[in-house]
Amino acid sequence: MKSLIIAATLLFVPAHPLSAQQQRTTQTETIETLLARIERLERRVAELEGSKVQAQPATQRTEQTQVPAEALHPEVAQSASEGPSLKMAGFSDFNFSGSDQKGTKSGFTEGQFVLHLNSNLTQKVSFMGELSLTARTDAGGGMPPVTGFNAEVERSIIRFEHNDYLKVSFGRYHTPINYWNTAFHHGQWLQTTVSRPEMVQFGGRFIPVHFVGGLVEGAVGAAGLNFNYNFGVGNGRGSVISRGGDAGDINNSRAWLVNMFIKPDKLYGLQVGGSAYRDKISTGGRDFGEWISSAHVVWNRETPEVIAEFANVRHENLTTASPVSNSQAYYVQTGYRLPVFDKRFKPYYRFEYIHIPRSDFLFQSPVVPNLAGSVAGLRYDLTSFAALKFEYRNQRRDPGQPRINSGFVQTSFTF
Amino acid sequence: MKAFGITLIIVLISGSIAGWTAPAGSDIAVVVSRDVPIDDLSFSELRKILLGDRQYWSSNLRVTLLIRAPAAREREVILRNVLEMTEAQYRQYWIGKVFRAESSSAPKSIATNEMAFSLLNSIPGSIAFVDASQVPKDLKVVRLGGLLPGAKGYPLN
Repeated sequence: MKSLIIAATLLFVPAHPLSAQQQRTTQTETIETLLARIERLERRVAELEGSKVQAQPATQRTEQTQVPAEALHPEVAQSASEGPSLKMAGFSDFNFSGSDQKGTKSGFTEGQFVLHLNSNLTQKVSFMGELSLTARTDAGGGMPPVTGFNAEVERSIIRFEHNDYLKVSFGRYHTPINYWNTAFHHGQWLQTTVSRPEMVQFGGRFIPVHFVGGLVEGAVGAAGLNFNYNFGVGNGRGSVISRGGDAGDINNSRAWLVNMFIKPDKLYGLQVGGSAYRDKISTGGRDFGEWISSAHVVWNRETPEVIAEFANVRHENLTTASPVSNSQAYYVQTGYRLPVFDKRFKPYYRFEYIHIPRSDFLFQSPVVPNLAGSVAGLRYDLTSFAALKFEYRNQRRDPGQPRINSGFVQTSFTF
Repeated sequence: MKAFGITLIIVLISGSIAGWTAPAGSDIAVVVSRDVPIDDLSFSELRKILLGDRQYWSSNLRVTLLIRAPAAREREVILRNVLEMTEAQYRQYWIGKVFRAESSSAPKSIATNEMAFSLLNSIPGSIAFVDASQVPKDLKVVRLGGLLPGAKGYPLN
């Protein structure tokens, strides 16, 4: 009896140091066993239902087998029904910020409330819309202005797809001449950081964020390079250059753009591309030729994440003789999804730079201020659909000016 | 007391064995509806389909992705071996994809393999990933890099 107890003890002892790992393994196995059992039972139910169906006349059988498929796949049912099915999703965020800049106040701010609408009109025609509600101090009427929300149609696009190589669309877009502008849109939760780089800030002027017109786009394999393209023609900037030409162009010269990038099969996660954008801007009684060229390199695998973009904006005064100006902006952002704590933490860092020469009449400060700054932070994914971000910013506007330090906490989510 | 001791040993031994051995699963087959004009996919083509970068088999036939719901082994193998993503990354990827208007809809989430078989028979251009041992003979299994499930070097297991 004694030897039995000793043997039992010996068997138990080596298992003890691995108990945590073993427990996890055992739990996983239990779950897998249960899932396998559920599947076996479902198969059995399906077999029984199948035998019941076989016993019925052929006409009834057809009806019975078609019904579940339609119920499970709305598009199948939709093709035979009366109208399109609308799907809705949304994004929003809440922020707390503080800064040592004179005249600023710390406190909470509501981020944008963004609704995303999506509807398949047919197998090849779809519509998507993006609406935003933005809190502003002057959105309400009356004097003095009161706080409220500004509503805006951010994107409204109808797309006709021929195949992967050719898709044609019309509407209001985020101008596809910049990676960030089209990768994250107004979904703060989608981006790693609290803030967008200043060169693509909403309401900013460096790059035309919105574009109203038509786009032709597609992708081809190109021997594993996966070449993607966009060609667009539309209304360029409005007379207020941060705005697009929503209600019509301000001159008879359309803006056009070309955007190309590759995503090589052999380097899964890499995207490299460049764009060109041409427009004539009419503002303040003068005309300017605008030529934007940009490039981006992105490694989006999160271990690490690297996003680097550069843009040069060339302005030429077409009304009076003056020198051509070239304004530049770039940023490099890196992040790393840590392997611990269920991969919920992601520290990040971004350096960004904007230089506006004095000869750039359109961008002259304070329209587009110079910038040299860093952003460092930590993203914590609370769930698959919500994140908490902590961010520190250190920025300097012009050489000789004091640096500004700011801190931000943001919770962003999709719903 | 002796019987109790023997029982205790058996329980402990079986517990130890269960703790040390990993469950063996069969390969995951790539199954398509009959009308899909493809018999063989390369690994990178499969990845493009799963990422929604390839959305058409041909001009008249759209790809409809049927993916098992979270916690299913089929889904776990696809995410780990092909996309190299966690469940959270995969969800975020597709939310972003639809939000960017790069795809009009996300993959269909399928609760069981039987449901996948039913939909493969009724939705033109559909593709699903299911345990190879459960695939009915009347469905079309696509080769992956020239290999069928069960072959040496088959990448989905």
